[in-house]
Amino acid sequence: MQLLAIMRREFFYMWNDKGLRYILLLGPVLGFLLFYGIYSAQVLKNIPTAIVDKDNSPASREVISDLEGTDYLKIVAYVDDYEDLESMIQTGQVVVGVVIPPDYGRDLGNRNGSRLMAIIDGSNTIYATNANTAILGVSRTINSRAGIKNLMAGGLSIAQATDAFQRIDFYQDGWFNPTLNYAYFLVLAFALNVWQHCCMLASTMNITGETKFSSWLQVKASGYSLNRLFVGKSLTQIAVFIAMLMPVYILAFGVLKFTLACNIAVLFLFTIVFILAIHSLGSFISFIAPNAVDATRFGMIIAVPSFVISGYVWPLEAMPKLLQPVAWILPQTWFFQGFNFLVFKNPGSNFMMPYFGVLTGIALLFYLVTALLIYRKERC
Amino acid sequence: METKHDVVMTVTGLSQKRGDREIIRNISFSLLQGECLGIFGLRGSGKTTLLHALAGIDRISSGAVEILGHDIRKDFRYKRDLGLVTQEPSLFKDLNVLENLDYIAVLKGCSQQNTASLIEKLELYDYLKKPINSLELGVYQRLSLACALLNNPKILIADEIIRDIDLKSHQLILKVIKSFLEAGSSCLWGFSNIEDVSLLNRLIWLEEGLNEILQPEEAMVKWNEIRKVFSDMNQADPSPPSPEV
Repeated sequence: MQLLAIMRREFFYMWNDKGLRYILLLGPVLGFLLFYGIYSAQVLKNIPTAIVDKDNSPASREVISDLEGTDYLKIVAYVDDYEDLESMIQTGQVVVGVVIPPDYGRDLGNRNGSRLMAIIDGSNTIYATNANTAILGVSRTINSRAGIKNLMAGGLSIAQATDAFQRIDFYQDGWFNPTLNYAYFLVLAFALNVWQHCCMLASTMNITGETKFSSWLQVKASGYSLNRLFVGKSLTQIAVFIAMLMPVYILAFGVLKFTLACNIAVLFLFTIVFILAIHSLGSFISFIAPNAVDATRFGMIIAVPSFVISGYVWPLEAMPKLLQPVAWILPQTWFFQGFNFLVFKNPGSNFMMPYFGVLTGIALLFYLVTALLIYRKERC
Repeated sequence: METKHDVVMTVTGLSQKRGDREIIRNISFSLLQGECLGIFGLRGSGKTTLLHALAGIDRISSGAVEILGHDIRKDFRYKRDLGLVTQEPSLFKDLNVLENLDYIAVLKGCSQQNTASLIEKLELYDYLKKPINSLELGVYQRLSLACALLNNPKILIADEIIRDIDLKSHQLILKVIKSFLEAGSSCLWGFSNIEDVSLLNRLIWLEEGLNEILQPEEAMVKWNEIRKVFSDMNQADPSPPSPEV
């Protein structure tokens, strides 16, 4: 009964704290909606592009037509010279500039080959990567057409020329996220990152108030076991953390139909194991930190960089060798890596076992150490 | 005349050490039902050490303590019937007045029925939503007493509860403790101002680890003798040390 009273009181305390209530209730959902809004285009298209056509020939107009035909580029300006194009890129009006040299058509006609120049603004790597892919696509089309024309000039029919030129069909098949949809890849992960921040910070305050300063005297004089108090508060917090995430999962998989390769129950179980891992770590911090401010600081030090270190956005394998073992110490790395596998690939229980196992191990370790520290403090 | 039934606390040969230093040396006494027993001593004499040992906050170095029939080294159930007001502020700093009352009631496992009556008796109503670090010392001590009495304890341990507080809080606290004693409960009262003896039946004078059980009148006589010694020293030496209490 007293445990229930502790749990009820913890819940109402969290609820009565307006700031905490709004952060816990709305933080992850608002984060999800915000990120979904940001990535609503899902795929980066219509990259602003300018063209300098110094040739103004039928061949150059074909190139322009090819560029206009792609979804990924949007021709927003036709400028007369290179300086104008440079100015537009510098001022951010366009991301891509294509320069067609003066003798482009003549050189193609003479079967001498020619050179087009594509300038890509590299200051935003996501824009640049997508622009590069789009330019590569267009350049393949232009090259093929030029090659086929050359073969036809050599006497082959159009069918023969096409057949001769396209001997190798490099078939590309994108798996798990065929359209390379940014929303599927990033939105939910970003929202989970906001959520894990909230959980981590709330956990670091778990037993700070009871074990720091002189308030410890009140707890000890009450005769109520601090370990039972710890259990009661923790159960409430864990329930709240799960409840915080429900609307996000419902929105993502139920309403917006995000990709989900695994069974939702498996993902849910994996999420609960992760909650236990970060809650145990946060509780440990709440015990060892000298005060509430330091507890929050320690929590922030772990939670803030953990998403980047987790390798979700930038591959772990591309990180310095020394940093990689550090990344695998964090529960966030195991969660975000495992989450990616579950959501996109569902590689099976044998593969996922280490992810479940390590997170469970982290939870057991930190809960056990915290319980022992509490026991020792109570016995002093 | 003490009877076994009347005794709510028995302390036998209690010694408390902090490191190698013996703060309390071989103290023995009993607390009777309805009695208010003072623990008096100069600063550093070991009052708080003794009270914390009896409240079960610190482990006992040696000796035996039985409270309400429980050996406090083995059985913590006596804490259900204990109320504690500490000398240093020990309420929850991040909670307001009402939240402190609520939380400590939950920790003590008692119903909230007592809360309203204590709020009224100790005139805390106007402060309920205030953070406790904004309270004046007198109001803080009224709140500390309210928290200590939430579980209707049989024994109240109060450490310097009325030192340096305003007159209104002083009167309210004395009134509530008087009514608490009249209801048959007992109180151990740590204090360092000899004038605070109005509610005491007996007192234990702690000095350099040793103790002496006195009637309040005897304690007043002893105090006046000490004052006289210091006063004489004062006349002999223009800058003698004053007795620090």
